Amino acid sequence: MKVVEIKDVHKVYHDTEVEVKAVSGVTLSFEKGDFAVIVGPSGSGKTTLLNLVGGLDQPTGGEILVAGHRLSELRPSELIDFRMEHVGFVFQSFNLIPVLTAAENIGFIMNLQKWPKEKRIARTNELLHSVGLSDRHNSRPSQLSGGQQQRVAVARALASHPEFVLADEPTANLDSKSAESLLDIMEKLNREEDMTFIFSTHDVRVMKRARRVITLEDGSVVSDVRVNGR
Amino acid sequence: MITAIAWKNVWRNKTRSLTVISAVTIGVFAGVFSMAAINSSVVQRIEAAVNDELSHLQINNKDFRKSGDLQNIIYDVNTIKSVLDSTEGVQAVTERIIIRGVASTANKSTGVEIIGIDIEKEKRMFTLSEKLIPGTGSFLENETKTKYNTIFIGEKLAKELSIIRYILSPEAFDLLVSLGVPAEVVTKLEPLKDQRFTSEKKFTKAVSLLLNLKEQSKYGLKVKEAAWSYREGSRISLSFLDIDNNQTGATFRVSGIYRTNNDMFEALSVFVPVEEVRNLTGIKEGACHRIIVRLEGNDLTNKITPEIREALPDFEVMNWKEIQPDLAMIADFMNQIYAIFMVIILAALAFGIVNTMLMAVLERTRELGMLAAIGMNRRKIFFMIMLESIFLSIVGGFAGMGISEVVISITHKTGINLVKYSEGMEAFGYTAHLFPTIDPGFFVITTILIVITGILSSVYPARKALKLNPVEAIRAE
Repeated sequence: MKVVEIKDVHKVYHDTEVEVKAVSGVTLSFEKGDFAVIVGPSGSGKTTLLNLVGGLDQPTGGEILVAGHRLSELRPSELIDFRMEHVGFVFQSFNLIPVLTAAENIGFIMNLQKWPKEKRIARTNELLHSVGLSDRHNSRPSQLSGGQQQRVAVARALASHPEFVLADEPTANLDSKSAESLLDIMEKLNREEDMTFIFSTHDVRVMKRARRVITLEDGSVVSDVRVNGR
Repeated sequence: MITAIAWKNVWRNKTRSLTVISAVTIGVFAGVFSMAAINSSVVQRIEAAVNDELSHLQINNKDFRKSGDLQNIIYDVNTIKSVLDSTEGVQAVTERIIIRGVASTANKSTGVEIIGIDIEKEKRMFTLSEKLIPGTGSFLENETKTKYNTIFIGEKLAKELSIIRYILSPEAFDLLVSLGVPAEVVTKLEPLKDQRFTSEKKFTKAVSLLLNLKEQSKYGLKVKEAAWSYREGSRISLSFLDIDNNQTGATFRVSGIYRTNNDMFEALSVFVPVEEVRNLTGIKEGACHRIIVRLEGNDLTNKITPEIREALPDFEVMNWKEIQPDLAMIADFMNQIYAIFMVIILAALAFGIVNTMLMAVLERTRELGMLAAIGMNRRKIFFMIMLESIFLSIVGGFAGMGISEVVISITHKTGINLVKYSEGMEAFGYTAHLFPTIDPGFFVITTILIVITGILSSVYPARKALKLNPVEAIRAE
């Protein structure tokens, strides 16, 4: 089942005197349960493509369909709701809410979606267990290591059962051990919850774990390889 | 959830938040307490005017107030009384005879307003009898009969007529010691022992030659208080016209001296029993110049005045606000002063909060971008920033009002003595001993205004937060 369909998408920036083609004619689709990475050199358009798929930015051409929504047709306020309902985000620098505990951070989106309290607590506890942080329920981000914070961020991204999770360089700020541990957890959640993960990364460790590797150069897809056996 | 996050955000940077909250607290306290002090001065002046001098309403013949004509007499007092008796809210009524005359002693003479009063009724309607200076006698109540008429006069007039003198008697020296004046200062005053000074000015000048400036400032009042001397049974002569325009007059024995905060009232108003004035002027029983009306409450003044005015169209009916429009104007002006004070305080408060919240928004650019990215809508982000501003202003505002309430209730009991400025203030009828007070409604209005200020101050920083582009904000350093 297709979760995301990208059809001939272009993104051109006119911010400077020189027109910048960040994404140029990309056509891709992601299936339910994909564990895909987008790789490429700096400036190849990885993050821009991720932003377009996540509804953080609008394409200047082509169209993106997610769960029946044509993103270009959504108004800004509808895009915010779309992101809350359908997309989980994991950022490079964790970006947790510093004044909330690990559990509160995980429950934040469920709270915005007005989940009943019992259901929210149950889901939070389930995810804390899944990411191995059951004992850090009441810890604030400042009391957690980088790896632990990123695990909370992953749990937050998955909390409200989005269509897919977008992770922009999720291991960039982590040491090897934390990065491997995080990838283990993501793989497990991918398997257990059949969750679609789309990464952008430079990290070879992430590429090694991916079941699909999409390479971008100058805003265009130059290869899209499915890795069997993973 | 948003409320909890906003509250926690306030305390992220404790030093900064506490600085702003302290500034708000100090600002609100300074404003509220200053207003309570100013307000007390006006409230005390109005209370004194109503309770000692004017009462709530006065009724006299038309033109009497302007001309002061002795023959402009109310003869149908009973008609007026029956109207007043049937008016709801009227508590008490009394009549007065008012004549202008000259008061003299062997040394001096001065113009006065001689007010003939029914002593018992006046005691029920006015508090002037309580303003009797202890040791100077009584409020027109002489236990021993004298051949003289009796008169109750103000301290200012007594000083002007040299009835009050300043003598540093041996008892005065003992009093100075008991008042805590140091022995060396008391010794310096020895040359003035038993000298009589007929005026305060002469006495003050003599003291200034013996004491240095610091001693004068610290002990001058106590020295004056100790030397203040009054010989009971002093007499003054009053001369005035009778009902037939013949010059008349009599000698009056001073039964007591009153002290108010209104020098002009003290200097002008002398009170004598109404029978004595009737005997001397020939104004018959049942006739008078003015009828004074006391209402059940000052708040009834505006309601009852037109009712009585309508019922008594041939008379001049005036309430205290109309008789002393300056007082009414000051009472109204107070509201404007409140408004100006609050605008200044709240503007300062607003600038502080805008500044703090702008810094908070700039510091949290990435976080706000992340919140927008993961689906927190603009309304919620705006609301969160607004709540943070409101919390900052409310915490400071409540702390300021709490401190104000405590300080006002303490100073309301102890009073604030501005004795240094008493001469100037009392010349205008204002007391130099303030007992700060403020209407409880003022706290409610202030709370509402602080919340509104918090909301308004949040608009600019919150709009800044809304303008953040999530993609750029997340990448911000």
